Amino acid sequence: MTTLLLGGLGLALSLLVPEMLARARWTDRAPGPAVVLWQAVTLASVLSAVGVVLVAPEELVRALDTGPDVEAWVLVGALAVAGLIVTRLMWSTAGVLLRSRRRRARHADLVDLLSRAETGGLQHPGGAPLRVLDGPLPLAYCLPGRAPRVVLSGAALQALSADQVQAILAHEQAHLRARHDLVLESFTAVYQAVPRSLRSRVPLESVALLLEMVADDAARARCSPVPLASALAAMSTDGDLGAQDLGPAGRVARRQVRTPQGDRRRRVGRLQRPATAERALRAAVLGLAVAVLVLPTAFVVAPWLAQALPSLPPLPGW
Amino acid sequence: MLGAVASSGFGDLEREVMAHLWDAGGPLTVRQVHEHLSGARSLAYTTVMTVLDRLAKKGVVRQERADRAYRYAPVQTREEMTAALMLDALGATPNGPARDAALVHFVGRVGPEGAAALRTALERAGSGS
Repeated sequence: MTTLLLGGLGLALSLLVPEMLARARWTDRAPGPAVVLWQAVTLASVLSAVGVVLVAPEELVRALDTGPDVEAWVLVGALAVAGLIVTRLMWSTAGVLLRSRRRRARHADLVDLLSRAETGGLQHPGGAPLRVLDGPLPLAYCLPGRAPRVVLSGAALQALSADQVQAILAHEQAHLRARHDLVLESFTAVYQAVPRSLRSRVPLESVALLLEMVADDAARARCSPVPLASALAAMSTDGDLGAQDLGPAGRVARRQVRTPQGDRRRRVGRLQRPATAERALRAAVLGLAVAVLVLPTAFVVAPWLAQALPSLPPLPGW
Repeated sequence: MLGAVASSGFGDLEREVMAHLWDAGGPLTVRQVHEHLSGARSLAYTTVMTVLDRLAKKGVVRQERADRAYRYAPVQTREEMTAALMLDALGATPNGPARDAALVHFVGRVGPEGAAALRTALERAGSGS
């Protein structure tokens, strides 16, 4: 019984809920709490997968009534498989962290070598150093890490007014300060730990967009929303950005009826509406996140644990 | 001298050396780079040597031996390196690992013709100029 409950919960949390959450638009009004909700949903789905592995064999054996010895060893085996899942997840996390750090360090090295010596006095007070790449594409991005940098291309500087540049710098500094890279890396790690046929990029991409909105809000609080919105429009050279140019991510995005242009329209649209505190919504979303994590444990796992623990093999010396 | 440079980082000096190598159009010896850079200031020969060595370790400069002296040349032109870097930032590099990282956050993105131009530059660089 517990197995079915946990399995159903796991399926709902990894298939149904992400689909609904990705289509929802109320998330745009409370992007920060929405990211927390995504984290809770993802963690809860991992927990229910581990839960199923732990519970299913034990329940099966008990149903077959094979006697306490077999029951105990099946439980130990189940623990081992659950341990394997957790280990795989940790391994994947370590790999993602290591690879992205290496890649960023290399990227930062090259950016430093290629950057214009003088950046025209553009600097965000107290922020990461700015680098200017003389390239033909309008780009603005940040390199998180111990020695963070904000990178603008020459084409971007040419296309943007001073106000717009300040707004973009504030946006990138918000990413760096809040370590949005770590949030994205955690979702990447889960994505990569899930077997190929089951994985979905929906959570990763939804969270990426929500983090952009969080940074937009931070920039809007420092500067004004007008230059940020116009900068977003000015930087979009991709009238018909080919999804094929961005690889698998782009293809999935198209199937999900989500496109870079659509994402940008959502961001610009929010910036054109007056900022609201949305206290009630934020509190509700955070409450929902806590519930998603706590309720399954309380209602499904705890009763099972109470039932299963006594059947563990006695440890020597007890 | 070396200590003073090290404490402020080699960054600026590395950039200057690279700029000079790119402008030179051919391989240069340590002495040639040193002569060019130490025009207006005192700069130790060994410092230039260290900087070139660091650049070689980073894989952006190639060291070749000719007539008992090492000569240094950039592995890629400035334009090729810029194009490769922008593709990396866009996560559009062909090799897989690039796909996993949350390397960057964009404001702007690149259109199909831009990505194609970058890729051409990268292929030119890859085919070993």
